[in-house]
Amino acid sequence: MSLQDQLEAYLTRTGGKPARVHDLYRIPGGASRETYKFDIEVDGARRGMILRRDPTGSLIDTDRRVEFLAFRSFFDKGLPVPEALALEEEGAELERPFFIMGRIDGGKAQSPFTLPPYGEHAATIGEQFFSHLGKIAAADPASLPISEAAPSPALDACWSKELDYWEGVIDEDEEHPQMIVRAAIRRLRRNPPPPAQKLSVVHGDYRTGNFMHDGNGKIIALLDWEMAHIGDPLEDLGWAIEPLWSYREADRVSGMVPREKAIALWEAASGLSVDPAAFAWWELFASVKGAAIWISSAKEYRAGGMKDPVLGLSGWYTARRQDEILAGVLAKLEGLA
Amino acid sequence: MTPTVSELLLGNFIALMEPPPPEALGDFMAGKVAVTGMIAMLAAQEAERGAEARLWENAAIRDLLTQGGAAIPDDAATETDFSIGGLDRVNASLRRALIALHTAVEETGDRTLDHAILRFYVKSADMRRLDMPPMPGT
Repeated sequence: MSLQDQLEAYLTRTGGKPARVHDLYRIPGGASRETYKFDIEVDGARRGMILRRDPTGSLIDTDRRVEFLAFRSFFDKGLPVPEALALEEEGAELERPFFIMGRIDGGKAQSPFTLPPYGEHAATIGEQFFSHLGKIAAADPASLPISEAAPSPALDACWSKELDYWEGVIDEDEEHPQMIVRAAIRRLRRNPPPPAQKLSVVHGDYRTGNFMHDGNGKIIALLDWEMAHIGDPLEDLGWAIEPLWSYREADRVSGMVPREKAIALWEAASGLSVDPAAFAWWELFASVKGAAIWISSAKEYRAGGMKDPVLGLSGWYTARRQDEILAGVLAKLEGLA
Repeated sequence: MTPTVSELLLGNFIALMEPPPPEALGDFMAGKVAVTGMIAMLAAQEAERGAEARLWENAAIRDLLTQGGAAIPDDAATETDFSIGGLDRVNASLRRALIALHTAVEETGDRTLDHAILRFYVKSADMRRLDMPPMPGT
């Protein structure tokens, strides 16, 4: 049975009416799950949808229920987030776990490899990008659906929970000794950050490439919440500012706005402050987390029979670039840059 | 090990040979072809510089181990297999020894050697650097 047949069977059963699926296509991106767009037709009316289905192999292992609830947490809350509609953790007719959400049309996600990334709209997009992130940080996770599935760490345990997790990923997936990230991890443990100023929903992968804009300076969808969790709000800001996403530009973060401007936008929208010492920890952590993801993708590339070139590129080129960044930050922290 | 050039190029072949289902044509297939192209382009750089980078790194780690009074592993005293795989095997052994040395150096507070190792990390990452030229936007 084709995927289209499976989808029609599922939608017809759960909707109680005959459903037709049109224009089903897999789309690039969202590397931790297979992502498809399609239209559903019921009683002659059509609606655009997105299907996110677990792959047989993945860049990272994530909890689909948390991702689903993260979408639900921020849909219709003043942020451009698609509506999460259905979750099937056992896979139902599609045989692998999946969820379905409404599709936001009329935009594109930017590749991390294209230049110039945002052209004349860079500053406008940057203002929205960091302000939206500030609004996510400002929300109280206890009042949101994500708290049903994501644990809430103690304020002084946010850093260790994340560092333990990602060091564990490296321990499990490292296939060649990674001397630079090991040095970074030791430094993070020797110099822990202060407790989080509050608990926030952490998107987990908030960066260029994981949102859509309309080509005229407006962000229309915040996507890829598969690594969402509850933690220190500075974690997301550190990841968003990570040099890997900055197109090798020294004077703008994420190819959008200067670093100081990004932080000011985030502070204004969140009502929180960025302590430089704490943020330095989370910035270095972001590079460690990146390295863990690329190490994991290299292992998965081999395990999956080298069929997915995105995993190969991530485990090779991106891993090398992350090493460059990490080595530079470690040297700079010792005044060696 | 991170994927080797030979694995990546073989992977490119596998990725393009497998007939995709109808729903994976279009944008997804175009993206997949673009990534295989990027890999091929970067593989040319690795083929040109990969052996040199590994030989340099192995020699530099031996120097640091000697400087720190640490033993050079028996299986990494010198290179005898100059294939990328052979150089990586020696490199893995040397890197494990360097990680142990660096950890000890941090604990004893030997800032001179600590800084020498950190400078080596910068140089090592640069030697292994792959240059991705900007791709045209759409």
